[in-house]
Amino acid sequence: MGANSLSSAESTLDLDEQISQLMQCKPLSEHQVRVLCEKAKEILMDESNVQPVKSPVTICGDIHGQFHDLAELFRIGGKCPDTNYLFMGDYVDRGYYSVETVTLLVSLKVRYPQRITILRGNHESRQITQVYGFYDECLRKYGNASVWKIFTDLFDFFPLTALVESEIFCLHGGLSPSIETLDNIRNFDRVQEVPHEGPMCDLLWSDPDDRCGWGISPRGAGYTFGQDISEQFNHTNKLKLIARAHQLVMDGFNWAHEQKVVTIFSAPNYCYRCGNMASILEVDDSMGHTFIQFDPAPRRGEPDVTRRTPDYFL
Amino acid sequence: MDSSSHMASLPEDIITDEHLQQQTQPASASAFASVPQRPPTKSSSEKYAPLDWSVYFDKEDDVAIPESNDVFHVYTAGTEGPVVFCLHGGGYSGLSFAVSASKIKEKARVVAMDLRGHGKSLTEDDLDLSVETMCNDVLAVIKELYSDSPPAIILVGHSCIILLTIIGKKLLHHQSMGGSIAVHVAARRSLSALAGLVVVDVVEGTAMASLIHMQKILSSRMQHFSSIEKAIEWSVRGGSLRNIDSARVSIPATLKYDHSKKCYLYRTELEKTEQYWKGWYEGLSDKFLSCPVPKLLLLAGTDRLDRSLTIGQMQGKFQMVVVRHTGHAIQEDVPDEFATLIVNFISRNRIGPHGIEIPGLRKPAFSKP
Repeated sequence: MGANSLSSAESTLDLDEQISQLMQCKPLSEHQVRVLCEKAKEILMDESNVQPVKSPVTICGDIHGQFHDLAELFRIGGKCPDTNYLFMGDYVDRGYYSVETVTLLVSLKVRYPQRITILRGNHESRQITQVYGFYDECLRKYGNASVWKIFTDLFDFFPLTALVESEIFCLHGGLSPSIETLDNIRNFDRVQEVPHEGPMCDLLWSDPDDRCGWGISPRGAGYTFGQDISEQFNHTNKLKLIARAHQLVMDGFNWAHEQKVVTIFSAPNYCYRCGNMASILEVDDSMGHTFIQFDPAPRRGEPDVTRRTPDYFL
Repeated sequence: MDSSSHMASLPEDIITDEHLQQQTQPASASAFASVPQRPPTKSSSEKYAPLDWSVYFDKEDDVAIPESNDVFHVYTAGTEGPVVFCLHGGGYSGLSFAVSASKIKEKARVVAMDLRGHGKSLTEDDLDLSVETMCNDVLAVIKELYSDSPPAIILVGHSCIILLTIIGKKLLHHQSMGGSIAVHVAARRSLSALAGLVVVDVVEGTAMASLIHMQKILSSRMQHFSSIEKAIEWSVRGGSLRNIDSARVSIPATLKYDHSKKCYLYRTELEKTEQYWKGWYEGLSDKFLSCPVPKLLLLAGTDRLDRSLTIGQMQGKFQMVVVRHTGHAIQEDVPDEFATLIVNFISRNRIGPHGIEIPGLRKPAFSKP
């Protein structure tokens, strides 16, 4: 017991030091990442595809590697574990600091497993990360793809959705024609690469739409769903709200379907060019909602990512 | 005695001459053997030899525009499905889509047009590459090909994208002209002649930022070629293309022979059309985003998106695919992948010969498509 306690204490100290290092936007070593992700895997594999979450909780949208804006989010929303957090995916790609961003969130998950919930986004995928930046960033910062492989293997274990006090259904994308009940989600095996189609794909790719019914998503994956669909889904599952991310909204949040569906986007000035605000949604212990909007963190020197000289494009 | 000695000397000279000749021949043969140039030269010529369009397209036609002297050359392939109408980039030709057309035609029809000043098209003013003129050209060709009953058309554009958006809007408006057409359209369950837009590797913000470099890039190209083979070889070794097969069929159409200089030059004098370039890209992103049909953007790299398209993509307004291991001419460099993306786009969006074919898709209460 004493020995176990000592070991646990040492582990906690290590984690706190790593979190402190990460908060300075300094990546962990490859070995540290490997150990961290093994622990994270053990925690995440026990979580449900519809992970229950208690209030109060602050719900966050896409981060996309914008580490300093994530730090800004914590300054505004409060530090973890003082504030409980629910992140709805897309931690990597596009921004310059996907490595630091996802490592920090995974570290916080391991350190405070009951205080933070991290869901899977469509970018937590081997295929997507090879195109949109995370893979290249891992190569640049570690000299090989081992860390990329460690993380993308871990992504398979991220829960797909969360349920706040049985009332607020949270997920990255949206609904699926193949899913009518929450039990439909609970029952399938999520430990796999994000498929190109099917219910798991839809949960990570779909978008709400002004038009009723199901539509072919312009994105090329998932579906669009109208108010009739979300009303039916909310009614069937006794939900009050669907909170999701996945879409950039200029104010950081956007209501749809008569305030039964809300989009939350938490990467301000997305891709360092869009000029959008970001927001997080605070849900208090009486289930009251408050959106907190925020601007990008003060700009610091851009990392040295060489841009290509233009070539022929006429 | 001296005389005898002298005579002996003379025969030696003769022998020496013969010996020299004998030595010369072996030396010449040896030189030939040690420097075998002809086989590699022949192989090189064969490697870069031009290929005929008929290997990939089914047919070529000249489309004469009524009340003008303009004649546009089109290549076609396939007999069923919607029409994939291909518009090449500046300095290319309809044959830029040749290799990919041979794959697309298994699922759809393909029409690839030589734009004004390019390929085999001949017009009164080959240097007028203004958006307005080229849009009118394309619409005139479509009208000649299909009269007043065009099939569903997926416009595919490489670089001159703004043409797509303007042509697309006119095709949409065309459907609302005249009661008889409207009735006819309704009877055919067609939403519009325009059924989809595919943009190949151009983004307004990136393009506008790069325009100032383009004259320099154009002038730094190899300008003169002693043969078509040399031009093809350059395009693959030092130029912009990465696929030899595609270059062999597409490059010849971008050249013309200069009889006075006795060499091949670029058919299209792009450097003289600079006044129009800005018009090709200004407002492109917003026009693309506001076009109300399924849209696909193919890019050769993720760093090419401008602000409007980044926002639009992240709002789910269109599909974007980043194609790797390719240069600017995606349809030439990776024709199989390009064709697959087009065919999947048509299939996913249920585009049939006359438009969207599953009007009942939008049903409430978890209907499964």
